[in-house]
Amino acid sequence: MSGAILTLARRGTAWARRRLNAERRVVAAEFDRNYYLAVNPDVAVTGADPLDHFLAHGWREGRDPNGRFSVVEYLNDNPDVVAAGVNPFAHYLRSGRAEGRTPAHDMGFRYRILARQIRPQDQLDAAARATLGVKIGTPAQLSAGLASSRTGLRDLHITFSHDDYRTNVGGVQLCIQREAAGLVERGHDHLHLCPPVAWPMLRLAGEEGRLLVLLNGRPLGTFPPAVIAEALARVPASGGVRSFAVHSLLGHTADETIAIVRAAGLGAGFFWLHDYASLCAGYNLLRNNVEDCAAPPPNSAACGICIYGPWRGPQAAAHATLFAGLDLTVVSPAARTLDFWRASGAPPISRAVVHPHATLAPRGPAPRPSADRPLRVAYVGWPVAHKGWPLFQQLALRYAGDPRYAFHHLGARAEPGLPVSFREVRVTAEQPAAMQAALEAAEIDVLIFWPLWRETFSFTVYEAIAAGCAVITGPDSGNVAAMVEAQDAGWVLETPDALEAAFASGEVAKLARARRASMLYDMTLSGMTLDLIPAIP
Amino acid sequence: MKVLAYSSFTFSYLNRARVLFESLRRHHPDWELVALMTDEPPPGFDFDPASEPFDRVVWASDLGIPNFKSWLFKHDIIEVSTAVKGPFIHQACAGGADVVIYLDPDTTLFAPLDPLLDWLGDHDILLTPHLIDPNDDHMAILDNDISTLRTGIYNLGFVAIRTTGEGARFAKWWNDRLLSYCYDDIPTGLFVDQRWCDHVPALFDKVKVIRDPGYNVASWNLSRRTLAVGKDGAITVNGYPLRFWHFTKLGPLGDVMTKRYAGDNFPVYEIWAWYKRQVAAATDPAIPDRWWAYGRFADGEPIEKAQRVLYRQRGDLQAAYPDPFASGRGTFQDWLAHEAA
Repeated sequence: MSGAILTLARRGTAWARRRLNAERRVVAAEFDRNYYLAVNPDVAVTGADPLDHFLAHGWREGRDPNGRFSVVEYLNDNPDVVAAGVNPFAHYLRSGRAEGRTPAHDMGFRYRILARQIRPQDQLDAAARATLGVKIGTPAQLSAGLASSRTGLRDLHITFSHDDYRTNVGGVQLCIQREAAGLVERGHDHLHLCPPVAWPMLRLAGEEGRLLVLLNGRPLGTFPPAVIAEALARVPASGGVRSFAVHSLLGHTADETIAIVRAAGLGAGFFWLHDYASLCAGYNLLRNNVEDCAAPPPNSAACGICIYGPWRGPQAAAHATLFAGLDLTVVSPAARTLDFWRASGAPPISRAVVHPHATLAPRGPAPRPSADRPLRVAYVGWPVAHKGWPLFQQLALRYAGDPRYAFHHLGARAEPGLPVSFREVRVTAEQPAAMQAALEAAEIDVLIFWPLWRETFSFTVYEAIAAGCAVITGPDSGNVAAMVEAQDAGWVLETPDALEAAFASGEVAKLARARRASMLYDMTLSGMTLDLIPAIP
Repeated sequence: MKVLAYSSFTFSYLNRARVLFESLRRHHPDWELVALMTDEPPPGFDFDPASEPFDRVVWASDLGIPNFKSWLFKHDIIEVSTAVKGPFIHQACAGGADVVIYLDPDTTLFAPLDPLLDWLGDHDILLTPHLIDPNDDHMAILDNDISTLRTGIYNLGFVAIRTTGEGARFAKWWNDRLLSYCYDDIPTGLFVDQRWCDHVPALFDKVKVIRDPGYNVASWNLSRRTLAVGKDGAITVNGYPLRFWHFTKLGPLGDVMTKRYAGDNFPVYEIWAWYKRQVAAATDPAIPDRWWAYGRFADGEPIEKAQRVLYRQRGDLQAAYPDPFASGRGTFQDWLAHEAA
């Protein structure tokens, strides 16, 4: 290389360096190092300086400098910035902002849910594929398995649900676990029937059925429903106590369920409203998984654009068949749930009862912390949209560093890159009150619990109220709103904007423990269906 | 009142047209539904009009357009699919219908269009403007307000007329203009069939400009329209029932413009996702992607836009080659290969 060219090259490099340094000064002011490392773990593992990485490579790879600016969207919107070949974030900070250009399109969390949506048919296909490898047992194997019962099936409680209550986590599973524990105490037999893998919908007539059989918590194998009915028919009741409860019909057909119940010599039993699967295949009544639909008329425009629309009729009809074929008492964990269900095209029923999964007994006033500490605002459980995580996350990001607030997340899994202090809490059979204890110990003032769907019952809201927390929820939250209103335990706000306004104005501080006469409670779980069945014949 | 609703398209848009006609049939089972097609079925695709969700097909070649092949060659696929709307609506005025409604194949009904028939009690011509509220944001003004100054104030994805009076007079005028001047030539002041209709409120009486936001919702007016889905199951736009949506540019461009203006108004994305599912379900894999029978010379060589423009500008070529699609010695294609260079 000649001396002149070398000089030019050096000048060029020096110019590029100066430009990068100038960009660095502009960008550094609003670059979020923690955010960048959290959303780009591949950068974090290299140990590179995140700002250097963004300036040199990151923006060209579509990586965002903070949670409020989208490199890809800014370039999509501004072809002149693309043509100039400059760092779009630097452009925005230098001139784009003053010119009124948009830093990112906030399409909201619901856009992301819709973009990742799995159609019901694909969910069913996946469940069917997962079932393919399941070995089907013989009638002899089932009879042999049933012989290992506590009472020779004389005293027998049969439960139906959508999955194996021992290995899956959730409210329905907890209810069946409670029932199973009660049956151990009574010395009765418990037969649980469910699809061998969780099934998203009812099976329709003509679809081949496969049911996992659990006897007293022990798997006997997977069998065709007709084989199960035949096996039960061979063991007559002979004066014992027999009962059944349908916790969920997903993965079952109405006719097969009726046949199994009849084969056991039963006709009258219980049907639980853990969800709204009896109204629609979208069992939580979230249209397209994004908004409470309130079960509008099936021929409505809303059902017309919903992924569950075409599946609603068959699923409701199958439940109607079940109600016509058996003498069912509907059990609802909350009055609001039952009222809504009855007003929303539910099948005709003869009896209904309200039986909460838990009750609260006052323990005494909660201690009052000092009034000058920040308001402790918490989210509990999995960071998922249908429980309201996006709203909490938005608040935590917006008010990060605001001395009025401190944000806490209590649950099994942390969400990285957020200004939220995380505390691992796992509720187990051995530690059923772990969440309540953790909320109480952390002296959480306010729980943000804004589920998208109208919860039929919420253990979370019971735990929070028992721990002396105030709860803020939305209008579509079902029994969460009902509990908050009934216990005067917080606010039911109309919109997320109202929630934001309460934080902006500071009005939310009215819910601080220091300013509320909050109570502590002992929470007792019910015995579920067993409370409704006499122990002695 | 006898109503005829039609849409103009080619086989590559049959999937979208199926979604439109199914929605028309659902909401208006008594309307006559007509597919106006400027195409020929691709080999290997068994086209059975009787099993389609429309009542009949009218082929553009049967509209009686003089020197059809020569006329057709002057247009690209969009120009000709819009041009044939004129002859059809003009001829339909003498066909026994009281009302004729045109809808683009990429529109879909979400509620009945009954109010149109009420308006046609007092008016003879109904048009939907691209915009019914002005934008005040710079980018939105560029994308929408200024863009429509180039392409036309009214969106001709929809027009409805009475088949008598001013409606019939409009149909004859539109027919005449589109047969001669339906080109995408914005510098000259033309944008296919659409820009012509800027004249309509001046040239005709009894014209109603529909300023109800429930009609012709599209990416170009989403900046001023907000969707909501009520607990009663109704879908509304700025509080009015959503009547029909115009799914312009199904693909990346439509996605970008929709996201830009829908923002976090999530029911918009629900509706788009629904539409994409419907179109996918209505797509027949036997129709090749971007199929158009009139997009190639007889020997299969693709026809370039410049070749069409040259042909339409040169009366001598039109006279010398009345079938410009032909291949072989002495054809327009042969002339292009040897003389045009």
